[in-house]
Amino acid sequence: MTALIEARDLTKKYGAQLALDRANFSVETGRIVGLIGPNGAGKTSALRAILGLTAYEGRLRVLNREPFRERTELMRDACFIADVAVLPAWLRVDQAIDFVAGVHPRFRRDRAMALLAKTQITGKRRMRELSKGMKTQVHLALTMAIDAKLLVLDEPTLGLDILARRAFYDALVNDYMDETRTILITTHQVEEVENLLTDVLFIDKGRIVLDSSLDDIGTRYAAVAVAADRVEAARAEKPFFERRMLGKVVLYYEQPNLEKLAGFGEVHTPSVADLFVAKLSGAVE
Amino acid sequence: MNTTIWLVRREFWENRAIWMMPAIIGGLMILAALFGSVDLMASATQLPSRAVGQLFFVTVGATFFAVMSIYSTWYLLDCLYSDRKDRSVLFWKSMPISDTRTVMSKLATALIVIPLVYFAAANLTTLLMGFIISVRAISSVGGALWHVDLWLQTQALWLYLILTAAVWYLPIAAYLLVVSAWAKRAVMLWSIMPPLACIIAERWLFGTQVIAQRLGERLMGLPRVAFNAKLGSWVSAGVDTNTFTTPANLWSFIDLRGFLANAETTIGAALGVALIGCAIQLRIRRTEI
Repeated sequence: MTALIEARDLTKKYGAQLALDRANFSVETGRIVGLIGPNGAGKTSALRAILGLTAYEGRLRVLNREPFRERTELMRDACFIADVAVLPAWLRVDQAIDFVAGVHPRFRRDRAMALLAKTQITGKRRMRELSKGMKTQVHLALTMAIDAKLLVLDEPTLGLDILARRAFYDALVNDYMDETRTILITTHQVEEVENLLTDVLFIDKGRIVLDSSLDDIGTRYAAVAVAADRVEAARAEKPFFERRMLGKVVLYYEQPNLEKLAGFGEVHTPSVADLFVAKLSGAVE
Repeated sequence: MNTTIWLVRREFWENRAIWMMPAIIGGLMILAALFGSVDLMASATQLPSRAVGQLFFVTVGATFFAVMSIYSTWYLLDCLYSDRKDRSVLFWKSMPISDTRTVMSKLATALIVIPLVYFAAANLTTLLMGFIISVRAISSVGGALWHVDLWLQTQALWLYLILTAAVWYLPIAAYLLVVSAWAKRAVMLWSIMPPLACIIAERWLFGTQVIAQRLGERLMGLPRVAFNAKLGSWVSAGVDTNTFTTPANLWSFIDLRGFLANAETTIGAALGVALIGCAIQLRIRRTEI
């Protein structure tokens, strides 16, 4: 299996500020990867670099191309929604479909029409007349109708209500995803995507702090809820983060000794959201 | 090629003024022909019929072209800027279309497509007006408007002007695109500031006005470069004697070879190409405001 995205020492500076600081990561074909990080961590810079929208330092290959230099070619095989509501206000829905059908060799009009048929949106509406959620639906329909190898989504469901969000993720997994495709997704709603991700990349201060498949998280990390009187003993096992919860203390361990930990309390695999909080807050403490 | 056509079509969707403005001007002119008095025209009837016809063609055409030059300037300043302002650039850049093609499509829209739309509108208006005035038959003007050879000659003249203007104004159009791709706000102001600053600095430092002069020559100099000396002598003769005579052949003014051989044309075009390169690089690098 070859890496679809390969970044080595990926660096992006804005003046003196480092948005990406020698970030290393790779994404393989057929995965659904969540790029997760706090605001200002470098998520957007990483996505912009991958999509060829910005110059960068270091080595970056996407679909065996150099994104910034070969954006046009890359966009035949990769598509993206880089932000919500970027479809221009004057554009009509049918014009948007005609345009993409006209310029994109991998666009399937029937698919876009089928996706739009599930919504309340008609072809003659202009973007300025649509709500933020409807605009997002149009953009998603356009993007998901492209037979791309790589789909990049930056906060794709922002502004959508819970029903539309569920419908979107269901469609993404059931109708869109197959083993030839790869999806890279950023979102603040970690809980919502947790079940569909195969891999996570945690990014903080421009660096990748965790690069793991969901399966590996179960073997690499463990959390134990410990009663107050046994915390000291549990701390001896070197947790990297702890937090109080309902009179107990939850301790997080990397490369855990599961047998020992079982003696302190109930051991479980932390959720992606919990692990994210633990990883990023832990670094501070 | 197909992609370029879609890009131009998209410009029509975004800028409906491209066809609405000439349609409105044409509509107003036709209304004037339908209901207005033709006194102005009648006073010109002392002139020979061909001269009246020619005045008519040139006046209608010039009105359209004057509006067009203002609109095209605004269009060039706005086109790349508005993509960034509403962030739709993130959508356009998700398509497999190079920034070079995008910038070139906007340039072609401004220098070729919009002039052709105005050309078509001016033609339609002239024909309809001529027809209406003839039918109303208020004066002898009507008949004066139907000189097929004159009409054909004016067509050739306008097309020649569109072609030469596209080359002559290339550096200005490309400069406007650079501003449009670069400025974070107030494109109009940013387009005026640098040349103005240069002019003032030059006067202040050297006491000369070379830049102002060059700029003026570029803005006003197209007729001088695109047409031969016969045009000048014809115009001044007409002004001197206060009569308006029609040259036998308008085509005789056209001087394409002279235009292309002119150093000013070549230098301007070279500068234009360099500035287009700048605009493309800015479009590649400046995604958002």
